[in-house]
Amino acid sequence: MNRREALLALGGAAILADPLFAAGRSLHARIANGAALKVLDPHQNDTVVTVAEMIIPATDTPGATAAKVNEFVDLALGEWFDDKERKGFLDGLAEVDARSRKRFGKDFTGCAAEQQAEMLQLLDAEVAGNRDADKQGLHREPSPSQRFFGNMKRVTLLAYFTSEVGQTEELHNPIIPGRYDGCVLLEQRGK
Amino acid sequence: MAKTYDAIVVGSGISGGWAAKELCERGLNTLVLEAGRPINPETDYVEHVPVWQMKFRGMGDHKARMATQPIQQQCYACDEMAYKFFVNDLENPYTTPEGKPFSWIRGRQVGGRSIMWGRQVYRWSDLDFEANAKEGIGVDWPIRYADIAPWYDHVEEFVGITGQAEGLSQLPDGKFLPAMQLNCAEQVVKDGMAKHFGRERILTIGRAAVLTQDHRGRSACHYCGPCHRGCITRSYFSSVNATLPAARETGRLTLRPWSVVHSVIYDAKTGKATGVRVIDGQTKHALEFKGRIVFLCASTLESARILLNSGIANSSGQLGKNVMDHIMGGGANGKIDAPADRIDFGNRPNGIYVPRFRNVTTKSKDFVRGYGFQGGGGRGDWGRGSDMMGFGADFKKELRKPGPWGFGFYGFGEMLPRPENFCEIDKTKVDAWGIPALKISCAYGENEKALLKDMSVTAAEMLAAVGAHEIEPFTSDNPPGLVIHEMGTARMGRDPKTSVLNGNNQCWDVKNVFVTDGACMASTACQNPSITYMALTARAAAFAVEAMKRREL
Repeated sequence: MNRREALLALGGAAILADPLFAAGRSLHARIANGAALKVLDPHQNDTVVTVAEMIIPATDTPGATAAKVNEFVDLALGEWFDDKERKGFLDGLAEVDARSRKRFGKDFTGCAAEQQAEMLQLLDAEVAGNRDADKQGLHREPSPSQRFFGNMKRVTLLAYFTSEVGQTEELHNPIIPGRYDGCVLLEQRGK
Repeated sequence: MAKTYDAIVVGSGISGGWAAKELCERGLNTLVLEAGRPINPETDYVEHVPVWQMKFRGMGDHKARMATQPIQQQCYACDEMAYKFFVNDLENPYTTPEGKPFSWIRGRQVGGRSIMWGRQVYRWSDLDFEANAKEGIGVDWPIRYADIAPWYDHVEEFVGITGQAEGLSQLPDGKFLPAMQLNCAEQVVKDGMAKHFGRERILTIGRAAVLTQDHRGRSACHYCGPCHRGCITRSYFSSVNATLPAARETGRLTLRPWSVVHSVIYDAKTGKATGVRVIDGQTKHALEFKGRIVFLCASTLESARILLNSGIANSSGQLGKNVMDHIMGGGANGKIDAPADRIDFGNRPNGIYVPRFRNVTTKSKDFVRGYGFQGGGGRGDWGRGSDMMGFGADFKKELRKPGPWGFGFYGFGEMLPRPENFCEIDKTKVDAWGIPALKISCAYGENEKALLKDMSVTAAEMLAAVGAHEIEPFTSDNPPGLVIHEMGTARMGRDPKTSVLNGNNQCWDVKNVFVTDGACMASTACQNPSITYMALTARAAAFAVEAMKRREL
């Protein structure tokens, strides 16, 4: 078997990178109902979906909702995190609502888009402040909502960029590049 | 009457595959016994499974791993797809003394660890073969570079090694296929090192058992990346991809998976082995197989265990002694000013190499021997976003672009042979097949710790010299075993009183038993050892067949 034949025998993994094909699938994903969630209750799920889409919104490519980031968060909570990590995440989620009510009089998902953005900017700045303090050797114990946002951002990026839309439409990562070029212009990458 | 094979090979990994090929091609009817399951590349290889089809997106089911593979999961290659190529730790117990952890990483299947190996290939030189004698450490190697060089040629020609010839005395060039390209950052570091260190410290592209062009019926690499999950195009070398098919081609190979070798059967009257005792891996029935010669290629620790459980080949008292591994994990990372408008394309299954420069032409006061650096350059990916401020459309757009160029050196150093590092049979423990388990007592010593420290110093020094910034030196604390270059439990030597094997990998005490895996090594050098096991195995097989023809075995 020569190399060309061998690649053909791989079962068409390479054609998965076809962007039109992928776009069709992600549209379908948006219409379909999500799988049954095991950990997140409907309100928690709404909050996770909202925060994830705010971190990675749909733009010229699909966003976190299309990539079903919430389903991966639910899986991580149920099967990857230990009990303490799971409780910490859910406590943090609750604290986001508590802070939201205190500031805007409503749960996070009930707030206007600008209020939600303000809340996330606040959390983002607090998490960055903790990180800078850590770098200077001055550890600050994060609050539950800060811990939640730090983890939520990490898991959202993982779930989005390793999803099918993330890999194929956002990053254009081929499964079988077929060659190695050590130093090419960015726009020539993969061409 | 049971059939008597001309040769029995125990193990089908990198050494066993070579023993099978050479013995079969030289006319022997050969039985290869593999402890684990058969491998069918078409169904077992999983290198092209897209990350989004993995339940945990490549992070692995770590709760399941911790339950059944708490030791194996320490290995980077024991990931969400490739964990199935590593043993179940509950079925394969061993013990260590309090305070002396040893991570024994094992693969039991046809192909052994050659399926998940790191594929780096570096010849040894006389700097390595002469070191024990010159420094009075351990025992002198019974061979020199001239003895093994033709066998390096022999195996490399078959394996297919990509690399760049550099003309260094401490790292002899091999028979190379075209080299893989350096990426932009690596080229900057290479050029900077050439300017500051001349020929003393050089950076070269890694030498790897990966094909950069079609070779002997196997296809060139397609740069998908995760070689440790298998390779349907057979582009990297493994027993399954190369040596076992060659052995099968002769019509003289019998391969029996699910054959856990308990011990060698020894006839005290003739002083020779007559075969091996096997526990069937599935039925757990005891079986015996007869052979005129036995090649133990079960891995450094397993071959020692088989001999210890056989009660033979130990008149020197050295069997199981001198357990060694490499020491790894000193180095440095930094950011490199390489072109921001450029990147590399494809997943190159190879890195860079900086050949040993300590105690080559100069002498270090803090340690003997030396280390080499592996590593490489690259641009950050979306993962950097977790530690960046921001969210929303601009944040997403930023993460679509690659991050800054970084570069890292990661050192691999030599470990000295010491009798206090040993393995023996633990009389209180058996594995899932009722075979007495090993107790492994091994720890790094002062020389290794000094090497580790020096790695971080010289790595940072080189990064500074080439103009890197944000340089972060590090030393990591890895238990021995985890480098997965374990060696030394049945060392070769010149004297039967102080060594287990002679210069042809033949047991001094039992002439028709050969040990050609890492057990035979009298020192570790700092280079990845697999190609040396391959060359020694092919050499020993040729010797054994000639000796049989002369009716000496």
